[in-house]
Amino acid sequence: MGASMTGDPKDLAVETAQGWFGVAPPNDAALEFAADLRQTVEAFEALRGRLRFEDEPVDFEAALLAYREAE
Amino acid sequence: MDATLTSRGTDLATLSLVEAAAAVADGSVTSLALTEACLDRIARHDLGLNTVIWTEAETALEAARKADRARAAGEALGPLHGVPMAHKDMYYQAGRLSTCGSAIRADFRPDYTATVIERLEAAGAITFAGLNMAEFAQNPTGHNRHFGDCLNPWNGDFITGGSSSGSGAAVAARFTFMALGSDTGGSIRLPASCCGVTGLKPTQGRVSRYGAMPLSFSCDNVGPLTRSARDCARVMRVMAGPDPRDRTAAQVPVPDYEAKLDGDLRGTRIGIPDTWFMEDVDEPIMAATEAALAVLQARGATLVRLTLPMIEDVAAYSAILGRCEAAAIHAQWMRERPHDYAIHLSARLFPPLGIPAPYYIEAQSRRGPILRAFAKEVFGAVDLLATPTIPMRIPTRLETDIDAGTPGAVERFMGVSRNTRLLNYLGLPAISVPCGFDDRGLPVGLQLIGRPFGEGRVLHAADALQCDTDWHERMPDLA
Repeated sequence: MGASMTGDPKDLAVETAQGWFGVAPPNDAALEFAADLRQTVEAFEALRGRLRFEDEPVDFEAALLAYREAE
Repeated sequence: MDATLTSRGTDLATLSLVEAAAAVADGSVTSLALTEACLDRIARHDLGLNTVIWTEAETALEAARKADRARAAGEALGPLHGVPMAHKDMYYQAGRLSTCGSAIRADFRPDYTATVIERLEAAGAITFAGLNMAEFAQNPTGHNRHFGDCLNPWNGDFITGGSSSGSGAAVAARFTFMALGSDTGGSIRLPASCCGVTGLKPTQGRVSRYGAMPLSFSCDNVGPLTRSARDCARVMRVMAGPDPRDRTAAQVPVPDYEAKLDGDLRGTRIGIPDTWFMEDVDEPIMAATEAALAVLQARGATLVRLTLPMIEDVAAYSAILGRCEAAAIHAQWMRERPHDYAIHLSARLFPPLGIPAPYYIEAQSRRGPILRAFAKEVFGAVDLLATPTIPMRIPTRLETDIDAGTPGAVERFMGVSRNTRLLNYLGLPAISVPCGFDDRGLPVGLQLIGRPFGEGRVLHAADALQCDTDWHERMPDLA
């Protein structure tokens, strides 16, 4: 878990979905999937320190064209 | 009728797409006969497979007669002239049903036609049916509560793979010479692998998405499922290219993919990743993969073991990009009609509503730099990557049935797409090609991955494999 997060991601997801979108958990499986958000947070936290300011264009489509196959 | 046709018996539906097109062009077979053959095969066998949502038989038969009259009159013929096709039921055709595999759109009839349908029909193809699919193209298994699960033609207990379930099963069952699928995390490659057919996810932007039901505007791809790489090459030439109605369709010329299929892999370097894609691969899958790699090597390819860069980054970001976009698209219906979704779908759509926007933006903003770093390192060393399409033996429908509350279903459900979904974040072209069968007689797929807009090289290697193997020609026993 990231140092800044103190709540359970599942509970935060339930609150956000209800408060911001008016969507309640539709079933128990939704809560099971929501519990997996903890893994998402952990995966993002593991990348901290590897991010840096990007001076080059960040446009994805430009990257596709830059490295395209020469047909 | 020539030797090619008679060697397959009298069922014209068992021809490949390229063979069928050639037979119509040279007059040895009529388009009417091909269309009748497909419809007849569906009538005899689809009750046990549930691949088809709708057919328009009379319209198709009339179109076939028109195609035959055009040939008789000496008119110029397109490369798909008179070939009947059925597609995943999410490609809009003006006035025709397009259910998207859902209850919410059970009666939806759009008033415009998808670019890809227009292009196929302009090349002479005849659209005759809409095929079963995962609800709103959102599961990797093929389960569908509303239209019933599509059954794997090789063994109905097992998943077809999704979301283009009907496309994979219908091509395998020889109900259609080709079927459009869509791929946001593996939805073309997974059913291709599970059903023993060839399926190509093109480069992001290679094929117009105008008129295709959206799931994730960042990761959606339109692509074909066919009997062979050569069939795939034929239709890709027709489908690909810029489209003024889709600004995301790349302004990149479309080569003649089919003309370059010579089976010669000398000088081709194929990378075998030693991380992620090759971890926890079931033994029968690994055995089939290694056998296929040996065939490619015998064709002249050089195999290179390598470690892929930034895989953790790709895995983290790919896990949220499409999910957040799908949740945003469906938020209104989730609020107003939550019970019209299957349990597994509403369950998957719910959590991304709680993912903070900066996470999503981070995933978007890192996509370009990560692709640059990945492509520079990987494609500086190899021309293609090869992996199993699905690392595990195909699970049963019950084992992955979240709606039924099967213990462990969520983990197995997500595990199916482990080797495919990362390529959607990277936008790279990838094909699944049959490479054998497991110990239960179920197909195994090999995934070949190219650099951006490298569909030609991917198809070239897939075709080379099919020059020396017959996995793609094997048909399930529908009786």
